[in-house]
Amino acid sequence: MCPVTLEKLTKVYPNGYEAVHEFDLEVADGEFMVLVGPSGCGKTTAMRMVAGLEQISSGTLRIGDRIMNDVSPRDRDIAMVFQNYALYPHMTVGENIGFALKMKHTPKQEIVNKVRDTAEILGLTEWIDRKPGQLSGGQRQRVAMGRAIVREPKVFLMDEPLSNLDAKLRVQMRAEVARIQRRLGVATIYVTHDQVEAMTMGDRVAVMRAGVLLQCDKPQRIYDSPVNIFVAGFMGSPSMNLFEASLGEGARSLRLGSQEIVLPASVLAARPSLVKYANNEIVIGVRPESLAMAGPKRSASGNETVQFEGDVDLIEALGSEILVHFSTDAHRVEAEGMYSDDAEGLEAGSITRPGDGVARMAPDTQVTIGSRIKLQMNTKRLYFFDAVTGLSIEE
Amino acid sequence: MQSVVPKRTSAPLGATDSLNPKLRRKQRNGVAGYAFVSGYFVLLVLFGVLPAVYAITLAFTSTGGHFVGLSNFVKTGEDFRFLPAFEHVGEYLLIWLGSLVVIVVGLALMLHSISRRVSSAFRFIFYLPGALAGAASVLVWLFMLDPTVSPWREFLSLFGFKNLGQTILPGHLPIIFAIIAFWAGAGGWIVVTYGALNNIPNELIEAAELDGAGAIQTALRVKLPLIKKWVTFMLILAFAAGTQLFVEPQLVGEASLGLISPTWSPNELAYYFAFQDNNFNYAAAISVDLLVIGLLCAAVLVFRTKLFEVE
Amino acid sequence: MRLFNRIWSRTFAYVVLLGFTAFFVVPVIWLLLSPTKTDHELVVGNPFAIGTLHNLSHAIHVMFTFEDYALLNWLKNSAIYSFGGIVIALACSIPAGYGLAHTQFIGRRTLLGVTLFVMIMPATALVLPLFLEANAVHAVGTPWSVILPFSFFPFGVYLAYIFYSSSVPKDLLAAARIDGCNEWNVFRRVALPLARPIIALVTFFAFVANWNNFFLPFVMLPNSTNYPLPVGLQDLLAATPAFNPGQGGQVPIYRPELAIATIVAMAPVLIVFLFAQRSLVSGMLAGATKE
Repeated sequence: MCPVTLEKLTKVYPNGYEAVHEFDLEVADGEFMVLVGPSGCGKTTAMRMVAGLEQISSGTLRIGDRIMNDVSPRDRDIAMVFQNYALYPHMTVGENIGFALKMKHTPKQEIVNKVRDTAEILGLTEWIDRKPGQLSGGQRQRVAMGRAIVREPKVFLMDEPLSNLDAKLRVQMRAEVARIQRRLGVATIYVTHDQVEAMTMGDRVAVMRAGVLLQCDKPQRIYDSPVNIFVAGFMGSPSMNLFEASLGEGARSLRLGSQEIVLPASVLAARPSLVKYANNEIVIGVRPESLAMAGPKRSASGNETVQFEGDVDLIEALGSEILVHFSTDAHRVEAEGMYSDDAEGLEAGSITRPGDGVARMAPDTQVTIGSRIKLQMNTKRLYFFDAVTGLSIEE
Repeated sequence: MQSVVPKRTSAPLGATDSLNPKLRRKQRNGVAGYAFVSGYFVLLVLFGVLPAVYAITLAFTSTGGHFVGLSNFVKTGEDFRFLPAFEHVGEYLLIWLGSLVVIVVGLALMLHSISRRVSSAFRFIFYLPGALAGAASVLVWLFMLDPTVSPWREFLSLFGFKNLGQTILPGHLPIIFAIIAFWAGAGGWIVVTYGALNNIPNELIEAAELDGAGAIQTALRVKLPLIKKWVTFMLILAFAAGTQLFVEPQLVGEASLGLISPTWSPNELAYYFAFQDNNFNYAAAISVDLLVIGLLCAAVLVFRTKLFEVE
Repeated sequence: MRLFNRIWSRTFAYVVLLGFTAFFVVPVIWLLLSPTKTDHELVVGNPFAIGTLHNLSHAIHVMFTFEDYALLNWLKNSAIYSFGGIVIALACSIPAGYGLAHTQFIGRRTLLGVTLFVMIMPATALVLPLFLEANAVHAVGTPWSVILPFSFFPFGVYLAYIFYSSSVPKDLLAAARIDGCNEWNVFRRVALPLARPIIALVTFFAFVANWNNFFLPFVMLPNSTNYPLPVGLQDLLAATPAFNPGQGGQVPIYRPELAIATIVAMAPVLIVFLFAQRSLVSGMLAGATKE
């Protein structure tokens, strides 16, 4: 039961490729930390350095008070769940779970008891004498979990443990893994490319891109206040709508394509630094759920709104909601790697073309394809980003 | 402030600290690797590299141990038995490799066109004599070629052979050895070629059929070009092994009442130099000749084809 | 027209295949039948007639008791050389294949390349150099002069390397390390148990190669009591009046007895073939293909 501290952890491969750059992270005792980012962002490398499977090029890794940089994996007292489970094919479920204990020379009877209890927790009791090859994907995943929890390790590492399960089972296991982790109260690092897993499972989420940590915070905080365009676009599905725009004189208006939008004074009041961007290009963002069909200028909650127009070119009915895809003549902004190239990304179903935007609306909203609609949004839910650095303009 | 001070000192300390153990760790990983390959490495050196190096050394020195340059190669090359030995083997290889290309590939194509079940029975039967490779196969074929006992005596008498001595006349040897090599070795190659044919996606064959190609057209114009690299692979390996002919002429020679030269093949000649003339330097020179042929074949296979996987 | 063509080409294929079946099988059948007949019957009788049990037991008796059970002695020698070579080859090639596939060390790629080379090169090319080397250290005539070269089996290393690099994921070994294994235990408890099919494969190939090897023992072992079976066969061949009429009746070895000796020589490999056909074939393909 120890905190894990990563201090300027860096991984440079012999060919000069820097997979992880000065990565700082502190995982508190019992905390569930999710590392998320597009494939190739260095999250798995970072985790493998914690496990001791990759050498640390520079920086310091501490588990508890001990510097672990050069401690071999077997002496780190960590447990890991691998993406492909890495179950020993020649051992039974019971032997797989008990293997680490056997390596520690735990007394036989104790191993038997612990394996039995673990199998019980995970509902594996009736499969305990089977070999992994005879199990379903979900059962294998449980064995991999069992192998990790039976050891009562200081730290849990999980490398995309749910990515090989089908969609339904994944949702179910998501809750189960989170529940088990809470129950054991062990510091956990969980790697995923799936922002839904990150949002739902983590106590905190660390978003990485190209080997660099961009933001580490509670999931809701990351969702509400992304530090830059990338985080804004990566977290949330469908993604945040990001458009190029230019601020008018005194930052009192916004030009979005050919449309001129007047910004209420409250916007400038909340972010005085916007003035510096007057007469300049910026990027604005708005989440699909913040968009609504235009109604009265003031919404029910008394917040100020702004409006703009778009042409509806696709409607996706999801039952509980509809996704209205619209196009404007403004340029859509996309940061590289913002949309994961895996099936998960496609599953969200958004067909994005330059200039397209998405609005999430109630299923009874009256819209027809080809019509021009007026959309409105709460100015409090409007995001502003520096067009050059991509950083969020918060103040 | 207090908490900052130890942190500051620990950071550079950690950096220098991590340098040495890192080296240590790298070496330990390396040590594990060396430990795993050490046994094999010793065998490789003792029974692969060292004999080759020793043979090369001998080939370039005289019996007295003086460096003599290429003299041993020249002298063995000028020996009256040298050229015939290579000619014999060349003749044998021509027949053996020709039959490999035509018959093995032909049989494999035929096997591939009939039902799987039946073809697997055929493949096993063809492969079976492979168990009798070496001395046993030669002995079996001495029986087969002896017109007095052979089950094919009528066939042999067609050529006018009345006894073993007539069948195994020196001029017949290349084709006889090719038959023996084919009998014991073709089955294995048929299996490999058939496996290569099986790797061709079924859609491709079906597409050819839809395009109007008949069975023979499909075999020649679609299947054959796709297994070309396997045929090359087979030819090179068979060539390399064929140059080393020893047991066949040795045993047939034994049964020929001295009709067949004891230096029929290059390996026999090298053996003869070593054991009859006690001239190890000459023997080494011919061994090096053969070694170079083997190495060249290996080099062609490794560098020219992409059949072997080394990451 | 097309149907006719198809039937015709199929018939042609079957005729050719059956013809070659005869070519491959007739010698084996003849060999298995011949010890049941007398030498005279072999000459005058139908080649495929079955003889008598009496003849068979006579031939077996003569052949086995010949020269104080020389055949059994050769059989024993063959077994010792073959299995001795296999044991050492396995002990070295499986760890080596694992090391080449899953560890990093300086010279790894070189070792891999050299292995590939010596694997493709025919083993016979090294026989005389090996003899010269053995002669230099006065090892000629000892069983080790055959067993140790046998145990150098680069094809086995290559098979193990292919198996480990393609079928054993790195994460599995990483899991073992995290579960508390040191490098040796990773191999011993995880990698080695997984290699069972490849151990069988290497054993078969090494066995067939060792058992049938003629040139190496022929050169290394001058003494008839040390011969393995193939070299013994040549000895019989040289002495038998069946092929060397000049030998006169000094040696009671005729064709039926020679056939017995040949059957004894080939039987172990034939049995291995029959039982291991599947894996042998798959191994030939695995060793040769990467597809």
